[in-house]
This record gives sequence, structure tokens and C-alpha cells, in this order.
Amino acid sequence: MLKRCVAAEWAKLRHSYIWLLVVTLPVISILIGCANYYMNRGILKNEWYSLWSQVGLFYGEFFFPILIAICCAYVWRLEHFQKNWNLIMTAPVSVAAIFLSKWVVVGILLLLVQGIFGGLYVLGGIWLGFNSMPPGELLGWLLRGWIAALAISTLQLALSMRIRSFAVPVGLGLCATFLGLGMYVLDLGQFFPHSLLSIGMGVLSQTSLSTWSQELGFLLVSLLYITIISTAAIRCMRKSDVIT
Amino acid sequence: MSQVVASTSLSKRYGTVYCVKDVNLSVCEGEIYGFLGPNGAGKSTTLKMILGLVQPTDGQVTVFGKELAAHRRLILSQIGSLIESPSYYGHLSGLENMRVVQKLRNVPDRNVSEALKIVRLTQQKDKKVAQYSLGMKQRLGIAMALLAFPKLLILDEPTNGLDPAGIGEIRELIKSLPQRYGMTVLLSSHLLAEIEQIATTVGIIHEGRLKFQGRMDVLKNNNRPTISIRTRNNILAEKVLMSEGFSSCHRGDSLVFENLTDELVAQANRSLITANIDVLRIEEHKKSLESIFLDMTGKERSL
Repeated sequence: MLKRCVAAEWAKLRHSYIWLLVVTLPVISILIGCANYYMNRGILKNEWYSLWSQVGLFYGEFFFPILIAICCAYVWRLEHFQKNWNLIMTAPVSVAAIFLSKWVVVGILLLLVQGIFGGLYVLGGIWLGFNSMPPGELLGWLLRGWIAALAISTLQLALSMRIRSFAVPVGLGLCATFLGLGMYVLDLGQFFPHSLLSIGMGVLSQTSLSTWSQELGFLLVSLLYITIISTAAIRCMRKSDVIT
Repeated sequence: MSQVVASTSLSKRYGTVYCVKDVNLSVCEGEIYGFLGPNGAGKSTTLKMILGLVQPTDGQVTVFGKELAAHRRLILSQIGSLIESPSYYGHLSGLENMRVVQKLRNVPDRNVSEALKIVRLTQQKDKKVAQYSLGMKQRLGIAMALLAFPKLLILDEPTNGLDPAGIGEIRELIKSLPQRYGMTVLLSSHLLAEIEQIATTVGIIHEGRLKFQGRMDVLKNNNRPTISIRTRNNILAEKVLMSEGFSSCHRGDSLVFENLTDELVAQANRSLITANIDVLRIEEHKKSLESIFLDMTGKERSL
């Protein structure tokens, strides 16, 4: 059933402008990051790692969280328009499958975004003429970033489901990013989804997850966020009236 | 005939106001049930409760003999619906919209082409729905509701936004559904004429309460003409006619009789003249379905 819902959800993304954003935002992050690196070569001497600190900062602390919020707002906007809530809620599928199918589709989009970003980072490094191989940590950064993104998207999906406006949840997401930065600085990053992204992608400190226990903790907290928020959102869908 | 939809004291309260109150709806298999009421009478809310879109404050709904709350998915798989204005994804073509519903309902490809053919959208299926006219969107909505060829079809104001030719066409389509596909149809409208032409059974709702429910022909029987006779002495006239077996009631300054044949009218007139009572008027009054409807829903509100 979930598979059918995901297929239906995926079909709704045809001819959609979301694809343009999925490609554009990583490109912009890489361009700004590379330019910043290029102009500050005097102090940034650690090739790949220095480049990551630059591109990662723009991407992980700004463009990626916004992209997550936009993707989540977009998949719900489709239903907020034209009384489509009536359509999905009278389909013979479980309410949980409706919510989770959106989460899966956003997850696939974000994995794609991470892939594009990773690829562009390597291309950027080659273009800047680095002599060494790309860092071995890259895959881990991207993957952990994706896991944190899944936690954030659960939160954003719940917000966009309840708030019929497109801009408000995206704005809230942006605020949460800054709040996450604050939590990270206060060393409480493990307890906030948006700080999990900073930690997971190693954008502020490339060695923030150095031990296995930290790694496990990161995974567990992400999973906890996903479970709690999605359970609450699905419960809310079951209990409340459909408003169109 | 088995009951397809049954609700018992179904109520919905918003704040302190009951939008739907103690509605006992009963829709039987193979019927075309017309749910009639003025705007804001509670039609859509009732239909939404039958589909589980709105949670009732009180009462319960059973569909196909099963309780909705407990068998939601099973029940929904056998219902096609179009509630309020049609749902659609504007950036997708008509066909792509149908594909989305097809995936959700897990039905074969031929259903898609068949449903599009029924509503005559096959030619425009590749056009973006945002560019459809209102009538075409409405047709697409009906096609989506028909897609799984469900046992029960729930249509809320199905002819909204259609031109007269389109209304006629959709009316004929709906009328043919019970025989062609064995469907039961529950449709709502604020237009008496529309329900009169389509429905076999009618439910009239006003201010959230069900005022009448029954077969259309029963409602039409309430329609029989009355004869009113005005004389110079109505009291004496009544006595005279009563002794001859006529029964009447007073309304204004006339005596009103029901079920009088032409022969009986002539006989009554003869008796009155013989008794030396001057007859001033003999009039026939026909109560239209519309006035019956207005009696139930109140004249002060628009239909």
C-alpha cells in the first residue's frame, strides 16, 4: 500500500518546478563556497577539508535546510489546493501511508540533492586544482546529512500539513536553522533536528562525531525525532476533520 | 433491498451550533437518492461524515452494513466520490490526474480509458487540467469518482458549473448508472428540478434536520389537487355536504376538499344549490412539488 502511495506521490511531481530547485540550490552553494575558498586561499590551506568548511557552511546552514522546508511545503501544497485533501482522504489507503509516502518522496529528493552536492564538491575541488584525492569522510558526511535531513523533513512535513500557507513553514524552518546553530554552539546540538544536520555533515567541526557512541547517539536521536513527530502527525490526521 | 448507507442520529456541532442534527439517512441498493436542501443546510457535512472526512459529534454511519470507523479502508475502496468542487492537480494533464487516482485505487488501465470515455474527455486527456473549463474539471471529477466502478457513488452537486447541455448529459449518465454498473447513487443538490428528474428516493434536509425521506412518488402524491368551494354560508354548506358524506376543512373563507372527482364536484354544487346556498367560487388548487419543498424549508430562504 505504501508503495502505491509513493508511486502516486511521485506521479504528482511530474512537470513540477521542484526539480529546478533540487538542482539549483546545491549549484549555488558550491559556487559561493568555491568562490569564498578561492578568495581566501591565504588562510585556507587544507585543500579538500578547507573547501568543505566553505561549501558546507553555505549549504548545511542555509540552502539545504531551506530546500528541505520547500520540498515539504510543496508536497503538501499540492493537497491544500483544489480540495485535494478530499481526494487523498477518500482513497482506500491508510492515513499513515499518506503521510509516510510524502516523507519517502521527500527523502528520495533529498538523497538526490545530497548526491548532486557531493558530486559538485568533487568537481569543484578538481577545478580548483587539488592534488590529493577527495576525503574519505565525504560519503559519511553526505549520508549523515541525509539522515538528519530526514528528521528535519518529518518536522517540516508536520508543519506544512497543518499550516496551509507555503511561506510560513519555510520561514519557521529558517528560524529553526538559526536556533539550531545556537543549540549547536551551546553544545546541545544533539537535541535539535536542525543542529543534527550541522553535526552530521561536519560543517562547523569536521570531527564532531568521532566515536562510535556519538555516531550511535546521532542515529538514535534522528530516529527518535522521525518516530515521534510522524506518529503525532498521523494521529492528528486521523482525529481532525478535513478542511478544504 | 439492502441498505447501502445508514446513519443513526448523525450530528455535527461546530461551536455551539449544530450543522447537522439527528439525521437518520437510509439509502438502499440500486437507488438514486437525491439529497435536497438549501445552501448551508448541512448536505456536504453529512456526505463528508459518510466518507469519514468529518468526524461526527454524535451518532454513527454504517456503509454496506459495516461501521465506517472500524472498516474505513474496505468501505472507501467501494465508494467513488466527488465532494464540493472537483479535486485535481492543475499542473498535470487529465490523464496524469487519472493515473494518480489509479495508483491510489489499484485499478487496471482499461478503467482509466473507460472512465474518460464515459465523461467524454478522451480528446482532452493530454491537456493540463489548469487549462480545463469548469465543466471539464467537473467531468474529470466524475471520471475520477467512477474510476474504480464502485458500488456506491457519492456526488455533491454534480452538475455545478455545467452548461445546460452538459447538465442534461450528466443527468442521463447518472440515471443509467444503477442499471449499467449496478451502482447506488447518493447525490446532493439545492435544485429541486434536478432531483425531481433524477432521483428515485429523496431526502430533504433543512437547517441540519432531515424533514422528509421517502420515495419520490410518495412525495409527488402529496401533490394531488384540492378543490376549494366558497359560499355565502360556509357553516351551513359544510353541514349539508357532511350529511352527504363529503369531508372538508376550513381554509380562509373557503371549504377545502381533497380527492374530489369531477362528478363529485358537480354533485356537491347541485346539493348546495338545492339547499338554497349561493355558491360564489369553485376553484382547483394544485400544490406543486416546489411549494411542498418550500413548506418544509421555509420561504424566507433562497433555494
